[in-house]
Amino acid sequence: MGKTKSKILVGLLALLLCVPAAAFAADTVVSADWLQANLSKVATVDIRKVEDYNAGHVPGAINVFYGVWAIQKAGLLNELPADDDLRDSLSAAGIEPTTTVVVVGSTANMAEKANNTRVGWTLKYAGVGSVAVLDGGMEKWVAAGKPVSKDAVKPKAKPYRGAFNKAVLASKAYILSSIGKAAIVDVREPDFYSGAKKLDFVARPGHLKGAVNLPTAAAYNDDGTFKPMADLEAMAKKAVGDDKGKEIIVYCDSGRVASIWWYLLSQSMGYTNVKLYDGSAQDFAKDPSVPLEP
Amino acid sequence: MKRPSNNLSLCGECHPEIAANYKKSLHYTTIGQRNRVIRRMSADEAKIFDEKVFETSCRSCHASCGDCHVKSPAIGGVSLGLISKHKFVRKDEGKTCAYCHGGRVYPEYTGEYGGNADVHYQKGMMCMDCHTMDELHGDGKAYQLKEEVRDRPRCTDCHEPGRENKLTARVGHLKHSENASCYACHSAGEYRQCFNCHGGHSEAKPGFYIGTSPRNHREITTLRIIPTVRDTFKPAGIQQANFDALPNYWDSPIHNIRKRTERTRNCDVCHEDRKGFLTMETLLKGSSRVNLELIKKPKPIPVSQ
Repeated sequence: MGKTKSKILVGLLALLLCVPAAAFAADTVVSADWLQANLSKVATVDIRKVEDYNAGHVPGAINVFYGVWAIQKAGLLNELPADDDLRDSLSAAGIEPTTTVVVVGSTANMAEKANNTRVGWTLKYAGVGSVAVLDGGMEKWVAAGKPVSKDAVKPKAKPYRGAFNKAVLASKAYILSSIGKAAIVDVREPDFYSGAKKLDFVARPGHLKGAVNLPTAAAYNDDGTFKPMADLEAMAKKAVGDDKGKEIIVYCDSGRVASIWWYLLSQSMGYTNVKLYDGSAQDFAKDPSVPLEP
Repeated sequence: MKRPSNNLSLCGECHPEIAANYKKSLHYTTIGQRNRVIRRMSADEAKIFDEKVFETSCRSCHASCGDCHVKSPAIGGVSLGLISKHKFVRKDEGKTCAYCHGGRVYPEYTGEYGGNADVHYQKGMMCMDCHTMDELHGDGKAYQLKEEVRDRPRCTDCHEPGRENKLTARVGHLKHSENASCYACHSAGEYRQCFNCHGGHSEAKPGFYIGTSPRNHREITTLRIIPTVRDTFKPAGIQQANFDALPNYWDSPIHNIRKRTERTRNCDVCHEDRKGFLTMETLLKGSSRVNLELIKKPKPIPVSQ
């Protein structure tokens, strides 16, 4: 073999070693049956509290509870941790950019449901390539008669070297400057969108100028699973249209529940430019200079 | 027998060593609660305190075998009921520990009071991963205060100084090892003071405080407010003749540890801004005069360093 061919082969080999292995292809919302069949191919991350994880979890699942992924900071309830802390948490969990992560949480109430997609959003923010959530959460897993383990799994730590994707995050300044340009989506229930009701921690009722309403509760069946994707797509189309490249910014009261429609729009329906404003109404409503509409 | 799990002798029939030790433990005697405050009182007042306050208040909730292994203790007359039907529970820290330590320590540990959760909780560690059974059941000695117990968890049991990966961490630890507790830098906050829930004694709503340790004046550490004010025991006829003998702040092992905090990220937070440090302005009004000894002003770092 000539020197030139050898150099080409060495070069190709080096190139192959540098390219990360492709993530295992998973849907973005997976069923209990699917997860059970693919447990060995994915990293199952249980985001419930340590006590709940210890009481019983999907076999092989590691525990990285919700409070690791979203923290209370500067008077706001659901903020991203610092990038270096997030990188540490991913490293400790042994998650790599190429890992296929299935998020398993509870679906006992709307906040718990939203925890699943909010962690999904955070993983995408951190640059994890393939993320899925378990449809119906742990409750569905148990109801389906799937095996439950009490053996805590200690993840094998690896340095996380993913590139963060900050395009999924919108700041207050950004969303205010996008009014009239992007589709602003208020995912709260109609009474909260209209300002007839408000939560205590939100300073003023009402929604941002021009925001459309896409309520979150409508996305779920009674058992905590998502409604059929065709139904969800019809709801989304009615609110934001079907231009998949259009910029969309979602918000709610504290930046948690909005992640549900962020997740569905961007991960499941193919809208390519969707941002989540994690400060949400808790942030903008305390600024008296921000006009709110009923 | 009514409430058999409250009967130490009955449990001791099968668990004699544990029962014998437990009878002398701080969890059972709660004597630490008394000794933490008794120096504020004259001899006559101390007698009244022991009869009217300690027995009816401090001792009322702590702590039979069943209070940890079967049911929630009745605190203020309210019990949360059985832990797991009528089964004895060996440990289930979210209940067995959190029923009593759920006002501050446990939610602080799990992050429910804001900020991040304690990094040890994040890694799946629960109370008894650090606190031993001997610590909870007692080792047979009748301690008067928890600080007398030698076998308590220490950060350095697991985190050996000098083995840090980063030079900045190694230097930071070396510089502060003689004059700052681990908590002083690694407590992330926010933690909750008694006053955050119990109003009435003071208008102050303090949060996170750092100052000189009342037990070791060479060390700065995190301080927790002790909500004893001059008229706390007035209803029992106690004036606290020696109120100023003790401070209103005790060094506190905050259960909200993070690798990084704003103080580990930036020296100026302490050395220039003095953020979170106890000051004359934030001192509780009308509180004990010895509190003044706890105010610490870190010096600016010389430019040459």
